[in-house]
Amino acid sequence: MNKILNRKIKPMEKYLMLILVVYIGIVSMTSKNFLTMNTLIDLLKSSSGTLILAAGVLVVLISGGIDVSFTAVAVVAAYCSIRISMMLGIDNLFFIMLVSIILGGIMGAINAIIIQTLKISTFITTLGTSSIFYGFMTTFVGTESISVADKPSALLAFGSARVFNIPTFFILAVLILILTWFILYKTMLGRTIFAIGNSEESASRVGINVFKTKLFVYTYMGVLSGIMGVVYFSEIDLINPISLVGTELMIIAAVVIGGIRLTGGDGTILGAILGVSIIQIFKSTLVFLGLSTSWNDLFIGLILIISVSIISYGERKSNKEKLIFTK
Amino acid sequence: MSEILLKGKNIWKSFDGVHALKDIDIEIEKGKIICLAGENGCGKSTLVKILSGVHQPTKGTIEIEGEEITNLTPIKAIEKGIQVIYQDLSLFPHMSVAENIAMNHMVRSREKFIDKKEIEKIAKEQLEKIGANLDINMPVRNLSIANKQLVAIARALSLDTKILFMDEPTTALTKKEVSKLLKIVVGLKEKGISIVFISHKLNEVFEISDQITVIRDGIKVGDFSAKELNPKSLSFYMTGREIGHGRYRKPEKTENVLELKNLTKTNNYTDINIELEKGDILGITGLLGSGRTELALSIFGLNAPESGEILVEGKKVEIKSPVDALDNGIALLPEDRLTQGLFLDSSEKVNITATILDKIKNKFGILNSKEEKVLAKNTVNKVNVNNKNIDLKVRNLSGGNQQKIVLGKWMVTDPKVFILDAPTVGVDIGSKSEIYEKIQDSARDGMGIILISDELEEIMANCNKVAIMHEGKIIKALNESDLDKEGIEEEMFNIINNSKRGEIVE
Repeated sequence: MNKILNRKIKPMEKYLMLILVVYIGIVSMTSKNFLTMNTLIDLLKSSSGTLILAAGVLVVLISGGIDVSFTAVAVVAAYCSIRISMMLGIDNLFFIMLVSIILGGIMGAINAIIIQTLKISTFITTLGTSSIFYGFMTTFVGTESISVADKPSALLAFGSARVFNIPTFFILAVLILILTWFILYKTMLGRTIFAIGNSEESASRVGINVFKTKLFVYTYMGVLSGIMGVVYFSEIDLINPISLVGTELMIIAAVVIGGIRLTGGDGTILGAILGVSIIQIFKSTLVFLGLSTSWNDLFIGLILIISVSIISYGERKSNKEKLIFTK
Repeated sequence: MSEILLKGKNIWKSFDGVHALKDIDIEIEKGKIICLAGENGCGKSTLVKILSGVHQPTKGTIEIEGEEITNLTPIKAIEKGIQVIYQDLSLFPHMSVAENIAMNHMVRSREKFIDKKEIEKIAKEQLEKIGANLDINMPVRNLSIANKQLVAIARALSLDTKILFMDEPTTALTKKEVSKLLKIVVGLKEKGISIVFISHKLNEVFEISDQITVIRDGIKVGDFSAKELNPKSLSFYMTGREIGHGRYRKPEKTENVLELKNLTKTNNYTDINIELEKGDILGITGLLGSGRTELALSIFGLNAPESGEILVEGKKVEIKSPVDALDNGIALLPEDRLTQGLFLDSSEKVNITATILDKIKNKFGILNSKEEKVLAKNTVNKVNVNNKNIDLKVRNLSGGNQQKIVLGKWMVTDPKVFILDAPTVGVDIGSKSEIYEKIQDSARDGMGIILISDELEEIMANCNKVAIMHEGKIIKALNESDLDKEGIEEEMFNIINNSKRGEIVE
C-alpha cells in the first residue's frame, strides 16, 4: 500500500480501512444478497455523485475554507441547464453538461469574489450565497418537477449507460478524483492551495496570489457541483429541484471522517474516498442487517465523533509529550 | 565607497494620524551586517515593512541599486532580491522541509507542474549552503524553533537574495543555537549578501554588526559602528535614559517556602533537590532541553513527576493540576506568553482578574464589576503598563507590556512561590528593567521566586542563588558568596556550554 501511495499510510486511513473491512465482513456474513454484482454496481452508482462533490469539498477544506453552497449550486446549475435545453429543444448530454458546468463555475467564482473582496468568512459567504442562488432559481426559473416522460432522453440514456458493466457515473467520478489528485499533488496550483490552507499570510509573503488560488478553488467546486447536478438528475426518475439541498453537511462530514483538517493545509484523496465509502456503505447496507434507515444518521454521527476524536486524541498525546498545552 | 543596494530617503509613515516613522534615512551597503536597534514599538519593524514593500511610506523615496522605485510591493521587492524573515518565520507547518524551502523558488519559476526530485534538489542545495543538516521529508511543525529558523533562512536564500532582513531571529534560541546562527550570517556576508538584523539582545548585536542604526520613537538617533558603542551607551540611545540594575541580595536567612526532594521524571529530570527560602530568587539556567522547563511545569502541576516530594512551607503536597498549584500558592509565568499566558483578544482587565475570579464573585457566582475594575486599575499601575486603558485588548500591547500584564495577573494572587520561565524574552530593555524591579520588590516582600533564564546577565542581576541544569540534573549549585567571586559569569558560561553527557562539574 505504501508503495502505491508513494508515502506512508496515515493511521486514520488505516483505521477507516479496518472499519470498512470488518463492517463488510459482518454484512456479507449476515446477508447473502450483499456481495452480489448487482448490489455492488448499485453501490458504485449511488456513490458517484457524492464522490464528485467530496473531491471538491476536499480541495476547499485543504485551502483552509469551507463551502456549504455546493448542493444548491448543483441543483440550480443542473436544473437551469435542463430547462434551457428543453426550451431550446437540444436533447444532448454534452450540451446540458456544458451549460451546467458553466453555471456552476460562475456561481463558484461569485463565492470566491465575495470571500476575497468583502473579506467575509467562507462559511458565512457560502451560507448566504446558497440561499441567494437557490432563491434566484425558485423566483425566476421555478421549481416545477420534470417527469420521466418529459425528461430529455439524453439524460435517461446517461442514467443507465454502462461501460464493461460499470456505470458511466462511476467512471466519471474516478476520472474527477484522478484529476483532483493530479491538481493537488502534481501542479504548482495544488501547492498554492495547500500553502494558503497552511497560512494565507505566509503564502502571500512568498508571493503567492491568494485571490487567484481561491478563485480556482471555489470555481472548481462550482464546476464539480455542476457536473454532479447533471449526474444526480440523470440517476433519479423525477427531476425535483427541491431535493439534494440540505445534504451538504453530510458530505462535508464524510470528508472530515477521512481525516481532513477543517483548519486547512492537510488532507488526502484516499482519506476523502474512505470517508465517503463508509457513509455510502452504511447508508445502503443497513437494510441487509435488518435495520431501518433511521439507524443511518445515528451511525454516521457516531463515526464522525469517534474518528475526529481519535485524531484529536493522538495530537493531544503527542503535544503533551512535547509539553505543549495549547491544544 | 562600496555599492549601496538599498536606500530609503526621508521616510515618513503614519497610521491613523499617528507618526510611526519620522524622516528616516537609511542606506544598506553590499555585504554589510546592519543592526536595527530600538525598543519595542519604536518603529523598526515598520521601517522593515516599508523597505520590503509590505507598507507604503506616507512620504519619502526608496531606491534599489540606484533606481527609484515607486509603489514597492512584496513581490517587486522579492524580485529585486529583498527577503524578509519575520519573527513568526511564515512557514507552512503541514508541509515538509523540502516543500517549504522550495516554495519561493517554485512560485517564482512559474512552472506549472511539480517535480518532486527538483524540490528535493533545491532543498538539499540550500541547506548545504548554510551547512545545516535536516530531514527534508519531516513536516515543519515537528521541528524545533531553531531548525524552523534554518528552514526559513534556506528558503530566503533559494532566490538570488541580495538583502536579507531578519526580525528578532534570536529571541527563541539558546546561546548555542544563537552562535550557530550568527556563524551562518557571517558566512552569508562573505558571499556578498547584506543582512539587516532587528534584535533586542545587545551582546549579539555587538558581535557581528558593521553598523548599528538606533531608532527611538520613530526617529533615527544615528548610525554607529560597533566600536563606538558599549552596552551602556547603546541602551542609553535606545531608551533615552540611563539603565542599570544592581545585584539582588537577600538580607537574612528565612524559613523554606518550597522544597523539592529527589524529584524525578524519566527523560525529563533526575533527582532534583532544591530549597527555596522566602525572599530567595533562585536562578535556574542551562541549555534548552536541560529539563528546566519540564521541572517548572511539574511544580505547577502540568507534568506529573514519577517520584520524589514537593514541600510547601514544610508540608508535603500533591500537585496534580494548576488548580492544586494555585491552592498551594504557586504561580507560573509560562515560557510562551502569547499562547500560554494571555487571552490575546480579551482586555487587560479580563486578563488580570482571570486568576482571582473566586475572590471577586459573590455567593451567587456573580462578579463584582466595580471591584474587578479597581483591582485591574491598581495592578496596571503597579506593574506600570504603558497603556492604562484596562478595556484595551492585550493583543494591541507591545511584548514588554504584555509581559507586564502576565506578571501582574499572577502578582494579584499573592503567591508564595512564583516561577518565571524566560520572563524577558522578546521584551525591550526599558520594560526589562521594570520587570526586574518588580521581581526583586516581590522577593523583598517575602515571595520565593524561581527565575528560569538563558541570559546570564539576567541571572546575575536578579538571583541570590543559582542552579545550573544539564540533561535533567543539577550539575552546579551556587550560593550568594559563589556569585560574588571574580569571573563567576565566565565560569558559569563554560559550565553551561561545555558540560558533557553525565559529567558532574564540582
